[in-house]
Amino acid sequence: MKVQVRNLDKISILDSSGDVDLYSSPRLREALLAQIKADGPSVLVNMSGVTYIDSSGIATLVEGLQLSRQTKTRFGLFGLRPNARSVLELARLHKVFTIFATEEEAVEKIGSIAPFEGL
Amino acid sequence: MIRITICSKPRLLNILRAVVKFYAKEAGLSHTDADYLALAIDEAVANIIRHTYHGRHDAKLALEVHCLPDRLEFILEDWGPKVREELIRPRPLDEVRPGGLGTFFIYSFMDECSYDRDFKEGNRLKLVKFLTPKGAGCDNESSSAKSG
Repeated sequence: MKVQVRNLDKISILDSSGDVDLYSSPRLREALLAQIKADGPSVLVNMSGVTYIDSSGIATLVEGLQLSRQTKTRFGLFGLRPNARSVLELARLHKVFTIFATEEEAVEKIGSIAPFEGL
Repeated sequence: MIRITICSKPRLLNILRAVVKFYAKEAGLSHTDADYLALAIDEAVANIIRHTYHGRHDAKLALEVHCLPDRLEFILEDWGPKVREELIRPRPLDEVRPGGLGTFFIYSFMDECSYDRDFKEGNRLKLVKFLTPKGAGCDNESSSAKSG
């Protein structure tokens, strides 16, 4: 699994790829929490390259969501593949996260949502 | 039947997922169901690493797959302290918090989950997925194979 961070118009985007499981989720967690703590207004996770996600990966995203509430950071996901989306849906978390279809949509709309939207 | 014994390193989970997916597809399950099955077994193994072995990477665990005409059976063995079954429960889904989803996924995708109380050396967990009538089952294992 790889995580790369880039910045676009005051938005931190974490490009994640590969399998997010018990082995790799600590890397995503470290990068995600660091970006949320960095005091930027918005953080997005690009899930388009994520081929698999387990409960530890989902726990990482939930942790990011909870921290974003504390820091008043806007937080969203985009580009979920069907398998990742179905796992989130099964856990009934798809309505808890702010999820965009594409990066273009996420970049356009993330600034207009309330930091706590979705909860 | 296949039996794989590995050390308890999380980086090896992808190998077990690949094995589970292979047998799921052999048994005629859809790509989606094969993914779910791999997730369930992955979560069960992750629970062993996290809760039974407390993150130790030098312990061992084994996965056995039995492909039978009407079902797939997965046997997971570890050599850690006995699991207290009464403490294993999926968390309520209305709680939004990290953790606790692994058991929920196992119960969601598997048809049967049971511990073999006669297994003396550690824990022996049997997870069963019944195949639908459309599922052909595997033709490479006789129905007389021991199921654990």
